[in-house]
Amino acid sequence: MKAGLTTSVIMHAAIIGFCLFSLKAPAAFDVADVEALPVDIVPMDALTQIQEGDKKSPMRDKPAPLPTERPDVVADARKVGENSVDTDKPATPAPKPQPVDSSTAPPPAPEPKEPVKTEDVPKPREEPKPVPATERATEAQPKQDVAPEPVKKPEPKPEPIKKAEPAPAPPTQETTAAVEPQPKPDEIAKAIAEQPADEVPLPNSAPAPDARPKPQQAEAESPKAPDRKDSEKPVKQASSKPKSDDKEFNADEISALLNKQKPSGGGAKRSTQQASLGGKKSTGGDKLSQNEMDALRQRLGGCWSIPAGVDDADTLKVSVRFHLDRSGMLEGRPEVIKGGAASGPGRTAAESAVRAVQKCAPFNLPVDKYDTWSEVVVNFDPSDMF
Amino acid sequence: MENIALAEPGAHLSIWALFMQANWVVKLVMLGLLVASIWTWAIVVDKVVSFGRMRLALNRFEQTFWSGQSLEELYRNLAERKTTGMSAIFVSAMREWKKSFEKGARSPLALQTRIDKAMDLALTREMERLEGRLGFLATVGSAAPFIGLFGTVIGIMTSFQAIAGSKSTSLAVVAPGIAEALLATAIGLLAAIPAVIAYNKLSSDASKLAVRMEGFADEFSAILSRQIDEKVMQKAA
Repeated sequence: MKAGLTTSVIMHAAIIGFCLFSLKAPAAFDVADVEALPVDIVPMDALTQIQEGDKKSPMRDKPAPLPTERPDVVADARKVGENSVDTDKPATPAPKPQPVDSSTAPPPAPEPKEPVKTEDVPKPREEPKPVPATERATEAQPKQDVAPEPVKKPEPKPEPIKKAEPAPAPPTQETTAAVEPQPKPDEIAKAIAEQPADEVPLPNSAPAPDARPKPQQAEAESPKAPDRKDSEKPVKQASSKPKSDDKEFNADEISALLNKQKPSGGGAKRSTQQASLGGKKSTGGDKLSQNEMDALRQRLGGCWSIPAGVDDADTLKVSVRFHLDRSGMLEGRPEVIKGGAASGPGRTAAESAVRAVQKCAPFNLPVDKYDTWSEVVVNFDPSDMF
Repeated sequence: MENIALAEPGAHLSIWALFMQANWVVKLVMLGLLVASIWTWAIVVDKVVSFGRMRLALNRFEQTFWSGQSLEELYRNLAERKTTGMSAIFVSAMREWKKSFEKGARSPLALQTRIDKAMDLALTREMERLEGRLGFLATVGSAAPFIGLFGTVIGIMTSFQAIAGSKSTSLAVVAPGIAEALLATAIGLLAAIPAVIAYNKLSSDASKLAVRMEGFADEFSAILSRQIDEKVMQKAA
């Protein structure tokens, strides 16, 4: 036995010694370096919402809205003419008027006016003519009336034009624009009144006083209108003073009176950066997500008790529209917009759908997306329920 | 070049390091298993040697027994020496035979019974000597894996406690404790597997030897019975 024991001990010692010296720790596994792939979990909302930007721009890192454009502020013209540049020189240098001005103008001026005055109307019209150098269609009509005589009028006109020069100038001062036209008709009227004593009705009919309040009213009515239009309006009104009765029906003026400024008002949304890809309007998260829609659908389905004993399931299909307020409460009665019937199972189905909506209210929906669920249309279809 | 400790983490996973890092319970288990393994191999070596000797002795005895030598002469040769195996059986039977006839026993039947009993006793003693300590091999073969497993469980328990304290679950933290704990099971299996194999082999060898000795005992009993009958006939005649 001793032999066996010693043999065994020696053998074990040898094996353990061999193990200790030869069996090192196994080599560590080689781990290939794998680059970590970042994975983001993005909710569906983020994909469905659209950032504001330019539809044609390439994708950019930063969202940037389309830069807004501000119209250049151009000072009102101080001189009358058709020049693109506001200078003293007349746009169309007419050799004729100049000689006429110096010599013939003063005497003939009163003369043609006299016959005109008998007609009452044309006189005041002469004043406007210089102002609307653009020759609007409305003013062209009165001219035609006077047409026979006024062939010479173009010559006398330059005089009134010169007189009128101060007139357009003041309009640039905006507030006084309407007031200043007044003196001119007066002066002219006086000049007219002095020369022909016969024409008593003229001063009476002189529309100037009547016209005065009107431009003021017009201004008061359209304070919002852009400045440019302001300067034009009083002039037009002054020109149309004699017509005062017909004036309200003028379509052009209605369009001029319209407030063309966008109701959004206030400031602008813009950045100095290049616009990025996006929609016209930012729709960030104002769509109900699939989860929220499912929740709403499930809730309504739970409230809906399907009328039993109906053969044709199609008669049970009902679309109901209803309005909600911000707290999710029902506003008004739900309205059946599709399906249903006046009687029979269709009516039952419609009523059950309406009842389901009423029973389910108030709805718990995200307030920040109120725009999307202020009005809800729900299709009640029993085939979806099973 | 500076050797940074972390550059070679495997150094801490050599077998000696694993043993030294282990909990004292696990260490105790490992040491116990080592001792069991040593004892197992000691028994195996001893048994293999003694069985070989026994087989040799049986062969030699059978050769001399059937060589035609007289039983008296053979007995005289063997009685002086220390006997094992078949020779022990032969000597015990012959001693009983001689005692009975020297004292003048008259009943052949009783003599036959006594001789058989003496041979059975010798056979049992021989078998006991052959199969002694084989039970230890069986015990080690069945219990060592469990003991090793016990060490492993204890080691894993303590290493998990340590991991919980370290507040990190990376594999580099978990692995050394587990490896160290598994060493106990490895040692257990290392002791158990040879023990099982050796037990099976040695017990079958022992039973073969026993069969041989039983056969000889039966044969010798028949021979002695014939002798007794002849003596009785001579006396009757």
